[in-house]
Amino acid sequence: MHLEQLLEKTFGYRSFRLGQKEIVEDVIKGRDVLAMLPTGGGKSLCYQLPGYVLRGSVLIVSPLVSLMEDQVQQLRTRGEKRVIALNSFLANDVRQAALADLRRFRFIYASPEILQSPKWFAALKKAGVSLFVVDEAHCISQWGHDFRPDFLKLGDIRKKLGTPPCLALTATAPPEVIDDIVATLGLTNVRRHIYPVDRPNIAIKVECVMSVEEKIERLIHYVKTLQGPGVIYVSSRQWAEVLARKLQAEGIDKTAYYHGGMDAEQRMLVQQQFLRDQLQLVCCTNAFGMGVNKGNIRYVIHFHMPGQMEAYVQEIGRAGRDGKNSIAILLYTHGDEDMVQSLIETELPTKEQIQLFIEHMAFSHTAESSAAQLLPSMLGLSETQWRMLSYIFEKERSSLRGLEHMQANMLQMIEERREWKRNKLNEMRAWLFRSLCRREQIVSYFHQRLSEKPVACCDVCGLTLENYRKQLQSDDEAAWTFHSWREELKRMFFKAGKLDEKAD
Amino acid sequence: MNNVLHFLLLFCLQRFNGERSLSAVFHLLSGKKSAQTLQDSKWFRLERVFGICKDVSMYEIEQAARELLKQRWIAPHGERSYILTDAGRRELEQQLPSAHFLQHMNGFLYHSTETLFWYRLSLVVQTISNLVHQRSFEPIHRHEATFIWVKRYLLSQKRPIAELAKALYEELYALCSSLSEEKATIVTLRLTSFERIGWTNEQLAVFFQTDPLYVQFMFHDALHYIMERAEREATSFPILHELVKDLVSPLSLTKSAHKTYEWLRKGKTIEEVARIRGLKRSTIEDHVVEIAANVPEFSIEPLIDAETIEKVVAATKRLGTKQLKKIREAVGEHVSYFEIRLVLAKEGENSAS
Repeated sequence: MHLEQLLEKTFGYRSFRLGQKEIVEDVIKGRDVLAMLPTGGGKSLCYQLPGYVLRGSVLIVSPLVSLMEDQVQQLRTRGEKRVIALNSFLANDVRQAALADLRRFRFIYASPEILQSPKWFAALKKAGVSLFVVDEAHCISQWGHDFRPDFLKLGDIRKKLGTPPCLALTATAPPEVIDDIVATLGLTNVRRHIYPVDRPNIAIKVECVMSVEEKIERLIHYVKTLQGPGVIYVSSRQWAEVLARKLQAEGIDKTAYYHGGMDAEQRMLVQQQFLRDQLQLVCCTNAFGMGVNKGNIRYVIHFHMPGQMEAYVQEIGRAGRDGKNSIAILLYTHGDEDMVQSLIETELPTKEQIQLFIEHMAFSHTAESSAAQLLPSMLGLSETQWRMLSYIFEKERSSLRGLEHMQANMLQMIEERREWKRNKLNEMRAWLFRSLCRREQIVSYFHQRLSEKPVACCDVCGLTLENYRKQLQSDDEAAWTFHSWREELKRMFFKAGKLDEKAD
Repeated sequence: MNNVLHFLLLFCLQRFNGERSLSAVFHLLSGKKSAQTLQDSKWFRLERVFGICKDVSMYEIEQAARELLKQRWIAPHGERSYILTDAGRRELEQQLPSAHFLQHMNGFLYHSTETLFWYRLSLVVQTISNLVHQRSFEPIHRHEATFIWVKRYLLSQKRPIAELAKALYEELYALCSSLSEEKATIVTLRLTSFERIGWTNEQLAVFFQTDPLYVQFMFHDALHYIMERAEREATSFPILHELVKDLVSPLSLTKSAHKTYEWLRKGKTIEEVARIRGLKRSTIEDHVVEIAANVPEFSIEPLIDAETIEKVVAATKRLGTKQLKKIREAVGEHVSYFEIRLVLAKEGENSAS
């Protein structure tokens, strides 16, 4: 069967999107492949389609549990039953059955942490992995914007699985990060498929204002006049809540906030409401977005600037996945970079924390001991800080050169990290203030060239907002109309015409 | 009610009566499964609020305490504990009637199963509602074990979907009718149907012009009520009973205490259990106290003579305290702290009044 036929049969698409076919072909040939496709470019198809050609299971390593769950859900909605996400919450009987025979799953999603488990690893080895996929592969690189130390072990794991062909996927990675990915995963004779980061249907605008108050005014103006649905990115949980309430007070309903501090159910409700157009607007931190597969987001507004270009490109890339015209607006006021800078500072552990960390670790010897589970909160370390310190500790302890030496090294590494983040922020800042085409700047940041400029390009090239104005309201009024709870219950369980049959 | 957390703190501090610190309140509300916290909830009759605020932070509790101090509703009492002032007691009296969420709330019994129950209920409702209206949908949560449970349950149903829908509707209608209008509305709107993704606590709070935490508590109160009746009345609520029956465990012991309990039932002494399990005697004693507080059929008579029990109970009543040190001073040095704790655990409810 031709790939196109298979595509139509299993996914219902008539044709491939840019790059997909070439990538799929190389993957099926058993080559190691590195693919960089823009956000919303259909990365998951690049391993899902080969899943129907290759013999043996496809293993997909993914950094975020929620991301995995979303993809598993999407596959199941399409009718694929042979899919599983390995995690520690599996019901006992399901886990036992899976451990006994993983082979019957076409797609196996796993976090890097769970691959450390000898049981799961043995089951995978027994099953035979035909393709080793690393999603969001930039997490491998120390210089990737969300570095995950556990990803570093993936090269080793792949080797122990008998070095199956590997597909590394990322959306946003500059060349040095790509080199890092290739080296860490031990990709040989790798086929690189690098596609343009540019998204021509997203217009880009930066607007400088005089004060935070003015920024809020502008935000309200945009939200009232632009065609939704929209996403507003802010730098903190508190801001997400404050802005959402402010907009609601302005009469902009169908607005909610979303951040990592909410409980899982409430987060899921907001995400689903947004997907179903029950909400028009979400004020959120960067916790929102990954795995949100919504085609019709018409604008993304940055109320605060992100700390680096990679994050910015990824966040604006959530707009216009349906290919229609969309706009990204970044609001800047003097001093915003200081806020980002202080965020960077709080993300990094302090000297005292490092010292205490080393003292504790020297006694417990390993990051996995049970006492160590309490350590992060005892030392007031965030999850990211904890991961980073544990990683450096594991790396350094083999040198056996004493605690003082280790501490000095740790401090130095943290210092390097700080410096690197500062540089990233400076690049972001430079992008804001340079009076060059914003699109060209982004593209050249990723060492690419712009083949063609869209008519609606950016504020530097000249941009009118006319085309983005609010026209139709597509939102779901029924979802917000409340009858009585009695009426609501009836609507839930009975078809409209049949309501009368049921008389209480 | 202006601030639910303030009220709740006032409520707990009144019961603790200066004998426990703020961290005890924190452990209680966040539902820490330690022997100490489980006992506290018994001794001070705070079972219903156990674990009803799982996400609360110590910082929030401290902040609430500062606010109560500022209002002069509480006053410092010893190290890190507080007692209510007269004004505080009056405030509590005044607020209690509007604390509708304390009506059916039983955190002690349901805090560890309510989430699973809600996962099941919300997914069953969402699935049936969409089937009835012939819509495809995405599950409202990502809880794998619940998916499997709901699938098995629905596949085991022999009747047509419309009949199942009608039966579930009637069960929910009956239960909601015996709740207040406000609670029935909250439960209904939290559910996801074919036409609406359920509202968040925040959205319900806007709708009711109240605090999201208040909505959350009202929701839990209603949920506990539904669970309780569904568990008890299998014939009136067959579907909901099916959802709840394997979730409610009669014993809420910590894992380790549970093991100790199993040894004791086999007739081992405390010493023997300590040796077998390679644990300190004091640890096993903690377990025994926990068991005494939680297992009604567990008798403490073999461990302590009736006379001592009576003495401790009398002293507790006379002194109106549950502070071990004061009780021991009253009953004499020959009675150990362990024995006093054991009596307090067992007699928790009786001696408290």
